[in-house]
Amino acid sequence: MSWIPFKIGQPKKQIVPKTVERDFEREYGKLQQLEEQTRKLQKDLKKSTDADLAMSKSAVKISLDLLSNPLCEQDQDFLNMVTALDTAMKRMDAFNQEKVNQIQKTVVEPLKKFGSVFPSLNMAVKRREQALQDYRRLQAKVEKYEEKEKTGPVLAKLHQAREELRPVRDDFEAKNKQLLDEMPRFYNSRLDYFQPSFESLIRAQVVYYSEMHKIFGDLTQQLDQPGHPDEQRERENEAKLSELRALSIVADD
Amino acid sequence: MADRGADEPSSRTGSPDGESRVSEDRWSLHQRLAIRELIDTEVSYLHMLQLCALDIRSRLKQLPQGDLDVLFSNIDDIIKVNSRFLQDLQGTDAMEEKQVQLIGNLFLEFQEELERVYKVYCANYDQALLLVESYRREPELQREIQAIIEAVVPQAGPSGLSFLLVIPLQRITKYPLLLQKILENTLPDASAYSVLQRATSALQDVNTNINEYKRRKEVASKYTKVEQLTLRERLARINTHTLSKKTTRLSQLLKQEAGLVLRTEDKEFDDLEERFHWVSLCVTELKNNVAAYLDNLEAFLRFRPQQYDLDMPAGPVGQYCNLARDLQLQAFPEFKRRLEDLVGQPLSSLAKALAGPQNLIKKRLDKLLDFERLEEKLLEEGSVTYEEEEARHTYQALNSLLVAELPQFNQLAVQWLGQILGTFMALQRDLAKQVLQRAESSLAQLPHHHLSEPAFRKLVEDTLGQTGHQLRSFQENFEKVLTPPTVQPLLPGAERQVQALLTKYGPGKLYQVTSNTSGSKTLDLSLPRGQIVALLQNKDTKGNSSRWLVDTGGHRGYVPAGKLEPYQIVPREEKLRVQAGPHEDSRHPTPEPTPALVASVPAGTQVVAMYPFVARNSHEVSLQAGQPVTVLEAPDKKGNPEWSLVEVAGRRGYVPSSFLARAPSPAPWGWSLPS
Repeated sequence: MSWIPFKIGQPKKQIVPKTVERDFEREYGKLQQLEEQTRKLQKDLKKSTDADLAMSKSAVKISLDLLSNPLCEQDQDFLNMVTALDTAMKRMDAFNQEKVNQIQKTVVEPLKKFGSVFPSLNMAVKRREQALQDYRRLQAKVEKYEEKEKTGPVLAKLHQAREELRPVRDDFEAKNKQLLDEMPRFYNSRLDYFQPSFESLIRAQVVYYSEMHKIFGDLTQQLDQPGHPDEQRERENEAKLSELRALSIVADD
Repeated sequence: MADRGADEPSSRTGSPDGESRVSEDRWSLHQRLAIRELIDTEVSYLHMLQLCALDIRSRLKQLPQGDLDVLFSNIDDIIKVNSRFLQDLQGTDAMEEKQVQLIGNLFLEFQEELERVYKVYCANYDQALLLVESYRREPELQREIQAIIEAVVPQAGPSGLSFLLVIPLQRITKYPLLLQKILENTLPDASAYSVLQRATSALQDVNTNINEYKRRKEVASKYTKVEQLTLRERLARINTHTLSKKTTRLSQLLKQEAGLVLRTEDKEFDDLEERFHWVSLCVTELKNNVAAYLDNLEAFLRFRPQQYDLDMPAGPVGQYCNLARDLQLQAFPEFKRRLEDLVGQPLSSLAKALAGPQNLIKKRLDKLLDFERLEEKLLEEGSVTYEEEEARHTYQALNSLLVAELPQFNQLAVQWLGQILGTFMALQRDLAKQVLQRAESSLAQLPHHHLSEPAFRKLVEDTLGQTGHQLRSFQENFEKVLTPPTVQPLLPGAERQVQALLTKYGPGKLYQVTSNTSGSKTLDLSLPRGQIVALLQNKDTKGNSSRWLVDTGGHRGYVPAGKLEPYQIVPREEKLRVQAGPHEDSRHPTPEPTPALVASVPAGTQVVAMYPFVARNSHEVSLQAGQPVTVLEAPDKKGNPEWSLVEVAGRRGYVPSSFLARAPSPAPWGWSLPS
């Protein structure tokens, strides 16, 4: 923040107290981190929902392809099963889209809005910085004249320099104060701002998975009776494979 | 029987009656002998089987279990069947008269079972022989085996194992012969004759079927394997023989296509093949789709938005982060694993099983072409060579094999598909249950969990609207940290230049550049921040009022209007003295340079002159710093905001508006902080 090449040079006096500077950097630092987090969160949410949609689409494809197989025409049981599955998948896809829309509206949009404040903040901080530079420069100038032999022209110049310095200093002080006030307030506003979004995020999951549980619960009632535990399903798979392998026409390897 | 034997000599002497009775007796004697042979050999056969299965097999400990299974195959099943058979057979002894008939019936009864168990053993026998051969090549092992066998079955001789293993084969082929012998010695008009006849042919059928079964198995194992050949290997395989085979088939196919030759229409087979084709398609598609679904699931699990809690680890944000982490670490990976194991894996196995039948179907078509050609040849020439006969048989074997087993395959495959789909649905339901459990418990801890969904959505919408306003106010606040309406310090060495401009144009025309400009068009100036310029025109030649023409004292050009702020001069004492001239009472302290905006001062107000001003013509009036002044006309009325008509010390005239300030103090600067 302080390596600007001046012709006049740096002021000897520390014009901004260390504590003030530290406070400022701390508050601004927190906000910079928050900016980055909101940006990353937004990005990850987008990617996550895109992957979610892709999953749903590929689930629909499973049942769609099954339905278009001619086996369905020959085998009534098969047709019933596949039709029921297809209906379920399509409904789930619709619910998924709704879930994604809700998340878009209540989480992603607010994130964007929140993020759009940061450029203004960053500009404001820059302007404070510029003011600080000007302040420093003029301060150094005043000090230069103060050190010189007190002749008439020097005194006049000194007076002039002090006059120039005053508004600039006031300007900086004002900017500094304003930012020191506003930054923590903005930082804390995130609490009230984002609570609803995250509540909404959780709720969206509950709504979607309730539907999913109901739909597939009904489906399995109808078509997967009796529902066996995993070990038994594995055994059933092994059994079917053995039966197939027992046929001569199936190669054994 | 003893009676008959005693009667014989007397009947030999005479009449045809006696003779026929003699032959009758001889027949019946031979019949009896044949029956005896049947039963006795059955007894010793069974005994031998049991020795093999129990004693010998258990002692062959140095051989692995897999080998023993191959060697002895389903000998236990054979023993079971033959034990029951023997029991029933021995039971017929008591029946005397009816024995022959009973034996015939017995064979008919057991026909199916015998075929079932023996065909397996026979089909496996070649493999067993291969194993025996491999043992023979290891002298140490061979000696051990031989020793064991000799201990139990001394009559086995040097060929030991193979001698023993061939016994069931010998037995099953012997049955027709034994029956034949009994049949020969049975009177054609006996009631038992037809039964016996049927039994004999039945056992002959059994043997034929066993052979057919064996052949099918051989053909199947020859052609079901998908051979992974490199190009080089494939090329090496091409010789005149294979080439001629392929060209012959091709020409046959072409003849069919051209209609020169009738294609063998086999509707039954075609239907089967079609169904198999659909089954294959279904399996392959499903396998690929499930794999794609799993890929997408994996991609989904890669993103972890929950790692960004925005420094709000408690409350709903924390709840969400915990929930998402939970789901990602447990619920979803479990779902994925189950999906892979119980759906993906079986589909892969099922897809692999398709290869065998697919190959056989292809081969069958090839062989069919051969077959058809040979049928033609048969018609034309009346006979075919031995190899050609073999080829015909191969086709028939392939065809019958496929016709027999494809329906089973199709049925099993479809059943399995149904099971797999059922599992898929169950897994989805289970995932939903898992997620729901966790999500609902998170929900219960949220502040608004009691609200219904529509009510909640409305609440969120409203809240977001409000907080949106708040955000906007923050944004505005930050933007208000504008370039201050203050005097910016001059660039070093610029004072003289400023004076020159001031003299030339007057104070109202001076502007300061607020940030570096860089010109892109011609006549655009590139000026540093802080430079003072004088305004010449507040628009450019095209009427664009955001581009102003200015004079830097050296150059003239255009700068963006947004980067210019009116410049307030800090008057200097010497210059004042020089300018003021006769009005030299400026001993009072330098006026406080008040950084006020160039605000229009309304008419009629009392203001104070901030700086001294020398009137240059009769329209203007001179000012002294600190003088009270009455504003007669507000600057904006005349359309020139830079000059105000004032009255001062009894005189009237124009003065620069910027030299005036509201009494008593300048407007407080800054901006109201939002509440």
